[in-house]
Amino acid sequence: MPEILVQYEAQIWQAIGETFIMVGVSILAAVLLGLPVGTLLYLCRKGNLLENRVAFSTLNLLVNIIRSFPFLLLVVFLIPFTRLIIGTAIGTAAATVPLAIIAIAHYSRLVEQTLLDVPKGVLEAAVSMGASVRSVIFKFLYVEARSGLVVGLTTSIISFISYSTIMGVVGGGGIGDFAIRFGYQQFKTELMMYMIVIMVIFVQIIQFTGMTVARMIDKR
Amino acid sequence: MIQLHHVNKRFEQFEAIKDVSLTIDKGEIYGIIGASGAGKSTLLRLINLLEVPDTGAVEVNGRDLTKLRGKRLRDARKSIGMIFQGFNLVANKTVYENIAVSLELSNYPRKERRGRVEECLRFVGLEDFMKKYPAQLSGGQKQRVAIARALANKPEFLLCDEPTSSLDPNSTAEVLKVLEDVNKRLGVTIVIVSHEMDVIKSLCTQVTVMANGEVYETVRTKPKGVKHIDNNPKYFVDQLAKDGEVDRA
Ligand SMILES: Nc1ncnc2c1ncn2[C@@H]1O[C@H](COP(=O)(O)OP(=O)(O)O)[C@@H](O)[C@H]1O
Ligand SMILES: [Mg+2]
Repeated sequence: MPEILVQYEAQIWQAIGETFIMVGVSILAAVLLGLPVGTLLYLCRKGNLLENRVAFSTLNLLVNIIRSFPFLLLVVFLIPFTRLIIGTAIGTAAATVPLAIIAIAHYSRLVEQTLLDVPKGVLEAAVSMGASVRSVIFKFLYVEARSGLVVGLTTSIISFISYSTIMGVVGGGGIGDFAIRFGYQQFKTELMMYMIVIMVIFVQIIQFTGMTVARMIDKR
Repeated sequence: MIQLHHVNKRFEQFEAIKDVSLTIDKGEIYGIIGASGAGKSTLLRLINLLEVPDTGAVEVNGRDLTKLRGKRLRDARKSIGMIFQGFNLVANKTVYENIAVSLELSNYPRKERRGRVEECLRFVGLEDFMKKYPAQLSGGQKQRVAIARALANKPEFLLCDEPTSSLDPNSTAEVLKVLEDVNKRLGVTIVIVSHEMDVIKSLCTQVTVMANGEVYETVRTKPKGVKHIDNNPKYFVDQLAKDGEVDRA
């Protein structure tokens, strides 16, 4: 192993751990909240099962607003909110708050788009069989959309990694922050390059895994 | 028995169904024919309330479905099977799963599901296709799976929206034969919407002709039976020769 990596091994592992926490929380937020929000966006849309103009416009606007913030500004803007729920606005835990918010907005949009591609006829058949909204969602909609949902999540995770790299501004740490502070600011270009390589490897693994899973579960 | 009483349906300003009343007796194969855009599909979809009428009543076995909400409407729908021109199978479910889901929805006893799915598939002649996905089937086979799915809950009625309109003549005959069986052997009342005269003539005992969202006329007919389709190339030549001279190239 290159000497410089040995020298900074402890910090590097810590940075990787911080990135994992930040991205992990983002993924959880995307799946646990982004998926339902995206599903609601889809269902409330005109002509769909829970058509509701007010609900749709509200959610739609909210997601758009969050997505139109430059991410750095969103982080700053959310500081009071972060302090409210975490108790502090500094550190890795605090960094997960804006990340979770952008993750929900980001993935919900991809979920909505994926669901829009599900043939309407399949849902109509479900309704004609007497399926409840809940059954339509879980036994038909998600089954038909599952490969797109995985592709979307893959794309989202890669964006989350990218978002997580700037969390140094609120002391969130992570690989990106480490690369900036030690590699760039201390002129250790070699160290910075290694960090970039680590990120590239992560992204490759995620992209490959996501696409493989998506292909395996797609029977269309 | 299905009865529509003065049913109206608008889409925005457009009157798709205008004051339609009709009665479909038990055991019939009832046809609805008309030009494209006449309102046939809308009319069919009114029967299981996929479209909610603006005014009028939809009575199925004496019960007005327009008065039902939530679970009671869903339960009523389970006794009315439906098949579509585009089959509408779940592409990510196997043939078995496509049919089983209908049983799940009606809380069919878990242990008896497999047997029931097999029974339905046997009825449509696809018992060997359980593990296949829809993408691996021909159009006619997909429609037969859709029929098996619609039959799983032992419905009293089967609504068919252009069931053969995207199929070749062979598959059409195959599907029509199954529908005939569904009616004859299982006693299911069938409503078929089609713009193809041959399809209607081969099966229907009563036919409503629709035009511009209205009933133009309803006539009793004698079903001609499903035409046998021969795959023999000679059959194609004979058919070509039937109405005139054929110059052999
Ligand atoms: N959901 C809808 N929204 C608006 N117009 C519709 C809708 N469904 C049907 N229509 C219109 O109603 C008319 C009848 O449609 P349809 O019942 O599908 O006719 P058919 O099945 O006889 O071809 C058509 O002009 C169609 O454009
Ligand atoms: Mg139609």
